[in-house]
Amino acid sequence: MPEDTETERAVDRSRSRRARTVRGRPRTPALAATLVLAGAFLAACGGGEGSTPTLTWYINPDSGGQAEIASRCTEEAGGAYRIETAQLPRESSEQRQQLVRRLAANDSSIDMMSLDPPYIPEFAEAGFLAPVPDDVAEAVTEGVVESAIAGSTWNDELVAVPFWANTQLLWYKKSIAEQVGLDPTQGVTWEQLVEAAQEADTSLAVQGIRAEALTVWVNALIESAGGSIVEDPGSDPSDIQLGLREDAAARAAEVIKSISDNDLAGPAFSTAGEDANVIAFENGDAGFMVNWPFVYPRALSGVEAGTLDQSVPDDYGWAQYPQVVEGEQSRPPYGGINIAVGAFSENVDFAYEAAQCAVSEENQKEYFLTNGNPASLASVYDDPEVVEDFPMAPVIRESLEAAAPRPQTPYYSEVSSSIQREYHPPSSVEPGTTGGRAADLIEAVLAKEELL
Amino acid sequence: MPTRERNLWYVGGLAIVVYALFPVAWIVSLSFKAPSDIANGQFLPSDFSWVNYQTIISGSASGLFLPALRNSFGICLIATAISCLLAMFAAYAIARLDFPGKKLILSTALAVAIFPVISIVTPLFNLWRQIGLYDTWPGLIIPYLSLTLPISIWTLSAFFREIPWEMEQAAQVDGATTWQAFRKVIVPLAAPGVFTTAIIAFFIAWNDFVYGIVLTSTEAARPVPAALGLFSGASQFEDPNGPIAAAAVVVTIPVVILVLLFQRRIVAGLTNGAVKG
Amino acid sequence: MSTTTLPPGTKQEPVSSPPTGMSDRSKAERKLGWLLAGPAFVIMLLVTAYPILQAIYDSLFDFRLTDPDNRSFTGLSNYWVILTDRIWWTSLAVTLFITVVTVTVELVLGFGLALVMMKALSTIRPVVRAAILIPYAVITVVSAFAWQFAFDLSTGFVNTWFGWLPGIGADTDWFGGQWSALFVICIAEIWKTTPFISLLLLAGLAQVPDVLQEAARVDGATWWQRMVKVTIPNMKAAIMVALLFRSLDAFRVFDSIFVMTNGANNTESVSFLAYRQTIARLEIGLGSAVSVLLFLCVVGISFLFIKGFKVDLASTRGDS
Repeated sequence: MPEDTETERAVDRSRSRRARTVRGRPRTPALAATLVLAGAFLAACGGGEGSTPTLTWYINPDSGGQAEIASRCTEEAGGAYRIETAQLPRESSEQRQQLVRRLAANDSSIDMMSLDPPYIPEFAEAGFLAPVPDDVAEAVTEGVVESAIAGSTWNDELVAVPFWANTQLLWYKKSIAEQVGLDPTQGVTWEQLVEAAQEADTSLAVQGIRAEALTVWVNALIESAGGSIVEDPGSDPSDIQLGLREDAAARAAEVIKSISDNDLAGPAFSTAGEDANVIAFENGDAGFMVNWPFVYPRALSGVEAGTLDQSVPDDYGWAQYPQVVEGEQSRPPYGGINIAVGAFSENVDFAYEAAQCAVSEENQKEYFLTNGNPASLASVYDDPEVVEDFPMAPVIRESLEAAAPRPQTPYYSEVSSSIQREYHPPSSVEPGTTGGRAADLIEAVLAKEELL
Repeated sequence: MPTRERNLWYVGGLAIVVYALFPVAWIVSLSFKAPSDIANGQFLPSDFSWVNYQTIISGSASGLFLPALRNSFGICLIATAISCLLAMFAAYAIARLDFPGKKLILSTALAVAIFPVISIVTPLFNLWRQIGLYDTWPGLIIPYLSLTLPISIWTLSAFFREIPWEMEQAAQVDGATTWQAFRKVIVPLAAPGVFTTAIIAFFIAWNDFVYGIVLTSTEAARPVPAALGLFSGASQFEDPNGPIAAAAVVVTIPVVILVLLFQRRIVAGLTNGAVKG
Repeated sequence: MSTTTLPPGTKQEPVSSPPTGMSDRSKAERKLGWLLAGPAFVIMLLVTAYPILQAIYDSLFDFRLTDPDNRSFTGLSNYWVILTDRIWWTSLAVTLFITVVTVTVELVLGFGLALVMMKALSTIRPVVRAAILIPYAVITVVSAFAWQFAFDLSTGFVNTWFGWLPGIGADTDWFGGQWSALFVICIAEIWKTTPFISLLLLAGLAQVPDVLQEAARVDGATWWQRMVKVTIPNMKAAIMVALLFRSLDAFRVFDSIFVMTNGANNTESVSFLAYRQTIARLEIGLGSAVSVLLFLCVVGISFLFIKGFKVDLASTRGDS
């Protein structure tokens, strides 16, 4: 093995040099330790050839739920295959970078991967994903919420298996809503929220940070206004059709501007991410917040740890994402994870079997309960256990049915970065011009005429 | 020494210690804050909690952290040792001998050190995959050598240049053998430079982030900075700042001991140097 | 050129080569020289030659990692796109700012700390020395994260502690503006890498002969005069190496920016720009071109330093 000769050669070199010089400090202990470690490493890497194929599932970090699913599905496989998990970095952009780098090098060790939906078109277009067999496609889309199916589809084909689906809700303090006479559960517009926040002299926690969260927000606003960021991705990057110059985008920009002009999002608006928002909501600075459902189990564990008072989560209210146009249902953000099979995997059939096992109703329910990640299978939301632990489950499900995925294009990272560049800081957003500038930037970048 | 000057030294010393260790104290304090307490906006935790240490030593992050610790120390020590050795010989040649190509070596060293790692990393990744060095210790040691060798060669050349080599001959004239002359005269003069170089080389390898992330994929070779990027918080939106701080503390303690040992060596070099009258 | 006093009674042997047999001796020296320096040279090239050449080659193409079939040769047009783009010039300006500020402060601070390390009261010397070196031992990304956390509006203590200073309040968003963010980045960099300069300067200080200082003191020079006329000139090589490598590193600042602001608010450095094009956008062609430009900038800087300092490490003692 290469490592063998490298280490030994290095050792030999240093031994012969030592004969010619003297060092001020004995090197033997360090060398001996190194040799021992090298030896242990070599021994460890020598083995591992069993007859059962091992599938490697590259997972995004979570609280251990995917690893549990992997072991459960290994049992169910009854010896046909084993599933092992491998960790990807915490940030979704870094997960994508690692996977792309390896798949571009035709890595055969990637059998299954947990993908962030916006990047699925890129992977599919680059030929990194093994095609989904028709029977599998049918089985895994039955009873699944609309947005999750849309998020796993590219060019009208299913390219990934929907796993769990995430969406943002409107969270509010019931006491404050009562105080201003607002009932968000009956549908509320951003405008009404702005007024309510001003009246109650509280903040509206939204993510204005220059990161993916901003794109999520802008996308949700534009989609809720009836438009889209990308209307047609086109076959060539320079053919992309953008909806950023249309009215819907202008109306979305108005919402951003009114929040920023009235200073409703707090002093750190331009650096506030999901974490900062939930902190502000918990400590009472913000009476309204749009955020993912993780805020609820987080509050409960804070109470358990003694750092949050029980009265705080007791005051939590939730409703569907705010509307942009009164009366027109809002289109909440869509996120989550879908499972894809690597195109260079040596066990594609087993991988799809394993994926199907992973997204079974039982597993999705367990995952929801233990890790707080909502299921993509609608029937899970009817389960009494789920409703007990997550009283907002019905709202989540409705939101998922209405949710709109982020722009589907292989150049998603460019689109998202351009949006972040033009729409940040939120205080600089102007309804007539920002959308147009973002569109110009995207077009120039995709035509390779400008840096991003 | 007059009392006033002594007191000034004490005050000054205290100021320096505070300046140097204050952020470290902040990291230590963070490591003792429970996850829900981490954002309390205060310097100290509201409640001292060992939960972060538990997480990284025996809990969910231990599978990531402990192997990474082993990898980092092993790889960095080996890279430092090889680097110092090779650099010592190269610097000796450059400082003492006259041969064409000295300038070439120095400029190559510089060029290699300053080319952005980001662009080297992807071709190197492809190369390593083909050769089979991907995700192995040598697969990281070799690029680390390219990081540490240039500065080692330059630093040691600068120091060796200032050593009065004539003293070796003077000692020989006094009756010492070549060997004794080298050992008793040159080595103590060279020691400060060598240990300084060793510390610097070690920390350059130690702090590397990009090579660690790209050239490894499992705990077989993943070093600590890369592993920190894999720690997970309570949900995908919460940053595991507590465990990261705890990992930083655990990882820094042995290095602090290393530093303490080395700094005594530099002291020895200073007080024994024959350079002083 | 430093001189030394030898123990009395020794003959000083001239260090000059004999008039006859020059070619033999220089041949032997050449062989020995390459024998000793060869391995280091080979290893440095081994690892980086192929990737560097590959990167330079790639910079001439329009090449996106996820679209390898559409790779096309575009010559120098990548360079043209970059050099005419506002983003490149902004990041270059930011990089220059960070480099100049951090290196200057670190040089002065580092020199002071080196003096302290050398001359501190013997009772506190070990403690002070160890304390000064510890920031260097903290992993860069962790240090960046710690500083960011401290200055952050919601999680940090800086606003609470320093709120009484003008311009700082409970609501100061350090990372929300370019200058305040750059300020925090510079502080983090300075804290973290001053020990590097201190170490090099300390070892350089240690090599300055005491005898010269004594002679100067006897001659009536003040502390400042001794510093400027005796100590610093004798440390020229050490100062040059410290400044050169520190400047090159500062110019390539990446980790702190990545952790603290992720490039927001115009705090991107050239390295960060290269990273974003190559690794985040997967535009290998453009990213490699940015890297080559960065490389050329850094080569320019080193050239300036080496010429400016007029210290030739390659010349043997007795030549300069």
